[in-house]
Amino acid sequence: MQGVNVSVTHVRGTSWLHRLNPISKLAWVLAVIFFAFASYNPFPLFAIAGLGLLAGFTASIGKPLLRILLVFAPVTASMIVIQTIAPATCSNACTAAAQLGPFTLYQEGMSHSLSLVSRVLAMEIIALGVLMTTHPSDLFAAFAKLRVPYVLNFMVSMTLQLIPVLQREVSVVLSAQKSRGMKSSGFGSIVPSFVPVFAGAFERVQQLSISLESRAFGSTGAKTSYRQVKFGPFDAALAIIGLIAGVIGTILGLTLWSVDQTPSLVLSAALTVVIFVVAAIMFIGVIAAALLAIARA
Amino acid sequence: MADEPIISITDMGYTYAQAERPALAGIDLHIERGEYVAVMGLNGAGKTTLGLCLNGIIPHMLMGEQTGTVLVDGKDPGTTVVREMARTVGIVFDNPEFQMSQITAAEEVALGLENLGVDPSEMPERIAGALRLVGLEGMEERSPMGLSGGQQQRLAIASVLVMRPIILFMDEPTSNLDPLGKDEIFEIARRLNQEEGMTVIVAEHEVEVLAQYADRVVVLDEGRIALQGPPSEVLSKVDALTALGLRSPQVTAYAHALSGASAGLPVTIDTTLDWLGARA
Amino acid sequence: MTTEPAAPAAPAAPASAAMVDLHDARYVYAHGNVVALDGLTVRIGAGEVVGVMGQNGSGKTTFTKLLNGLLKPTSGAVVVDGLDTRQHSVQSMAAHVGYVFQNPNHQLFATTVAEELAFGPRNIGCTPEEVQERVEEAVAFFDLGAILPLHPYRISFPLRKLVGIASIFTMRPRVFVLDEPTTGQDHRTTSVIDRLIRRLGERGDTVICVSHDMPLIAHVTARAMVMWNGKLIADGTPREVFMDTSAMVRTHLTPPQITQLSTRMPGRASRPAVLSVAELVAEAQERP
Repeated sequence: MQGVNVSVTHVRGTSWLHRLNPISKLAWVLAVIFFAFASYNPFPLFAIAGLGLLAGFTASIGKPLLRILLVFAPVTASMIVIQTIAPATCSNACTAAAQLGPFTLYQEGMSHSLSLVSRVLAMEIIALGVLMTTHPSDLFAAFAKLRVPYVLNFMVSMTLQLIPVLQREVSVVLSAQKSRGMKSSGFGSIVPSFVPVFAGAFERVQQLSISLESRAFGSTGAKTSYRQVKFGPFDAALAIIGLIAGVIGTILGLTLWSVDQTPSLVLSAALTVVIFVVAAIMFIGVIAAALLAIARA
Repeated sequence: MADEPIISITDMGYTYAQAERPALAGIDLHIERGEYVAVMGLNGAGKTTLGLCLNGIIPHMLMGEQTGTVLVDGKDPGTTVVREMARTVGIVFDNPEFQMSQITAAEEVALGLENLGVDPSEMPERIAGALRLVGLEGMEERSPMGLSGGQQQRLAIASVLVMRPIILFMDEPTSNLDPLGKDEIFEIARRLNQEEGMTVIVAEHEVEVLAQYADRVVVLDEGRIALQGPPSEVLSKVDALTALGLRSPQVTAYAHALSGASAGLPVTIDTTLDWLGARA
Repeated sequence: MTTEPAAPAAPAAPASAAMVDLHDARYVYAHGNVVALDGLTVRIGAGEVVGVMGQNGSGKTTFTKLLNGLLKPTSGAVVVDGLDTRQHSVQSMAAHVGYVFQNPNHQLFATTVAEELAFGPRNIGCTPEEVQERVEEAVAFFDLGAILPLHPYRISFPLRKLVGIASIFTMRPRVFVLDEPTTGQDHRTTSVIDRLIRRLGERGDTVICVSHDMPLIAHVTARAMVMWNGKLIADGTPREVFMDTSAMVRTHLTPPQITQLSTRMPGRASRPAVLSVAELVAEAQERP
């Protein structure tokens, strides 16, 4: 099929973000991840998430980015729902913000959950933004340049490719079993599929390894790389700025914005209820849909 | 043709580790440079094993017991590193998808060059050349998994050709392909042999096609060479082939039924028409 | 076997209630809007042995998957053994349509061949006695006695292919769908499958065989369908179809070598093409 993206998360394009050096981009992803882990203050994190989304739109990957975020939305929603009614940070000293039927919505819970959501969103958006604008081959070439061991690099890239293949194999095996009258009742129906899929995977790996060996894969001599990643002064500067920003941010996060020091978000009762209800709908809706799909299968 | 056969196998035997019986025994095979050799035999007769003995996978990667001598372009695969042998012998297997591992077609073809330590500046041109040889020019950025079976198999051939081997061993390359795919692969084999002068060895069941292009047919039966010679000689032995569980081209079986002969029978449609004309 | 069996006789006119009845069946893949099947109308009677030929992507596989409900038509109707596939699950169609996948490895997961044979009948609700009876029937028909206690992955690939077919046979479907049964197989296995399909036909089973093994189609089927670009472009006896040069050329299919020879032999212009070596030999022997 012409124009099919080479991997699940890659979107073709020629934007500024696409053209940035993968190593520089990776540096910024690392920076954001470290900062997000160290900090609990939702304001800078939501800001990063927002800026990331904006950058995504300027790079023409806005819509695909939102689509993937929607897939993760139920998980983030679950965090809000659970934390708000059963906060982890205030034990017995919680302040009730609102009452919704039998549920008491606690202010600390909502605040803490929003802080968690901001961390997740910041990491997600930046990481996805980079993944979507970096051709997987360039990504692996970047890893190779960073002296990631060849075999490890190859294993990850191979796994990336095998996922859709194995998905297809599982689907074929399930079709074959259904065609023999197998009723799919939960997990028990998947288990008989493991053997054929593993046998197939084993056969594939056998032939692949001989094919690779035949092309001198196991050779101990020096290997060269087809895909070159140029790393000029601009790219190096960008990467270093990113790393420095990451270090500064992490220090700030650890000293100023840790769990205890984070100012608690105090939202009005109405806002608390609205956010809670929206999150609950997302969360329950997805669970219900999943249960329905399992029951119907 | 050079004086020395390009492949010289003398009394070669091979038994896989922990196997009860040998996969190959008493193999005497001498192939000249530029020959198109067809290898026939039932599944398990030893066709794949024979190929793997040529490029050193046996004995380097697959441990087992090997006896006798093998010389490929003057080199002994047993004592030569696979990296060296890969420059001489290329092998293509029966499942096109199982030979793919890279994200783009160009990288799949580049794999061999990377392993050989070829200068990256040379790579784009060599890759383009290999893709052109198999009719996939311009497809560098395509994902191998998105290609048809025939295209994947052609890509596999390109990945091997880029290393510039002088011998190509194809192990049932068309068994997983549709008729169009089969035609494409046999056409490439013909072109590589007739126009590029490559020594081509094809293990296949498509006896009618092989009869048309092969200079020599080798029939394996349970690890031994049962029959060997030009197509018209080997494929005329209709009863012998049947006893081995194999078959001759349909036209040869027809000529055999008419004449009762087991030698000098036609093996293609055109030669059969001539043969019928001469009998009339 | 030096002599090939004579081609099966042409089928009698199909019964009024067709075993397989497709009416303007279309199938469009959701992503990419690919029209895999572009309006197929075909009726196959009980007991017919039909070959379906075409390149990959011609729609032949889509057609077979519509038969047991693995795919539901995007529009049009598919009725097999009286059941509308849109109203029935794949599992409930299994007792009526037996789909044998091309790669037996995709089916086999039990620890013994016997278990494998029993899987299908158990799923469709047979009592233990019925299961036992059907397994014994399959063992006799396919000659699997020696390998019953063996693990399916410990037997040779050709035998696994037979076990794959046998494990569908035990469900006693009215219609067998065989997906490329001889592709990639050596001559010995191909002969076994060849004989098997003929025996199924002799029993009165309806067999739909997708294959690009032209000699197989010539030997075992009485009707051949040619698919191209989602459409049925030829439908007749193998003899008729092989002589339909425009259809053959358009789909890049070549008739069996002996068929080609017979059409090029001088002095045979008025005679139909042959389907097997035996046929042409018989012809040569009838002249004084």
